[in-house]
Amino acid sequence: MQQQATLHIARPRSALLAIAMPVVTAALLGAVIVYGVGFSPIAAAHNAAHDARHVNVFPCH
Amino acid sequence: MLFRRIVLCALLVGALAGLLVSAVQHWQAIPLIAAAEVFEASVESADPAAALATSAHDHDHDHAGGDAHAHDAETWAPDEGTERHVWTAVANILTAIGFGLVLVAAITTWEHLRGRPLASAGTGLAWGAAGWICVFGLPTLGLPPELPGSVAAPLGDRQVWWLLAAASGAAGLALLAFIRGPLRLAGLAVLVLPFAVGAPHLAGGPFAAYDIGIARQMEALAGPFTLATTIATAVQWLALGCLSGWAVGRWVRPALAEAASGL
Repeated sequence: MQQQATLHIARPRSALLAIAMPVVTAALLGAVIVYGVGFSPIAAAHNAAHDARHVNVFPCH
Repeated sequence: MLFRRIVLCALLVGALAGLLVSAVQHWQAIPLIAAAEVFEASVESADPAAALATSAHDHDHDHAGGDAHAHDAETWAPDEGTERHVWTAVANILTAIGFGLVLVAAITTWEHLRGRPLASAGTGLAWGAAGWICVFGLPTLGLPPELPGSVAAPLGDRQVWWLLAAASGAAGLALLAFIRGPLRLAGLAVLVLPFAVGAPHLAGGPFAAYDIGIARQMEALAGPFTLATTIATAVQWLALGCLSGWAVGRWVRPALAEAASGL
């Protein structure tokens, strides 16, 4: 019983870091990838992803 | 561990959804883009400024009838045919992986906060539909799908408005779905915000630069292109959502339990 109670107290802070950090990092990484493909002003990136930008309705040129 | 699982799931989900949407586009949206580029190239050669720019670097630029945005001969662009299609597929897969990362992370957060095993292919469909509303439905209400060659407000303005529409869509839908009580209705206000600001538009419409005959023909392509992009993006998002929900239930859930138990 006592052991369970200790675990319960230990949980919130570490779990917040153990879950919030990876989840937020993954979502940000995803946003950066989408930005790179869909919004990057680099000409070569635009040309490579041109048709994908049009079909995904990202503003293009 | 949790991060690695989320990334691996997003890679798998994005690769599958990106390949699927590339196949769908290949027979519906891509031929419309190719048809519009013929008109785009025609106005390009008629436009004196563009003609001058072309003559500056001799006339045999190797993307004749192809990518008219690559005005600068120095700029790399994929060759017509297979190379271009491969790059389009790569860009689609990368985009789907990016969206997949956000979706898998969101579904994981949802399951964790609710504290129940909710992620599945079925609930994932609802997440996919929400994603489609945020990055297709709402942005295209203000900025209709653009064919190559169509003229529109400055790119930077449209990109900012697009991001505003997508972000306020996500925030608005989240408020409506997850908040109980009167604050929930603020979600509607957030959804409407980008339209109160107003999408950037040019007077004269997207084909004002063309002869009336060509403008009519391009207008005739615009309707089918809107339909094609609507279907392709819907297929992509439903596949993304379905696969993400399934992947979270199958592979992220054990890692989530491990992280939640305080390690």
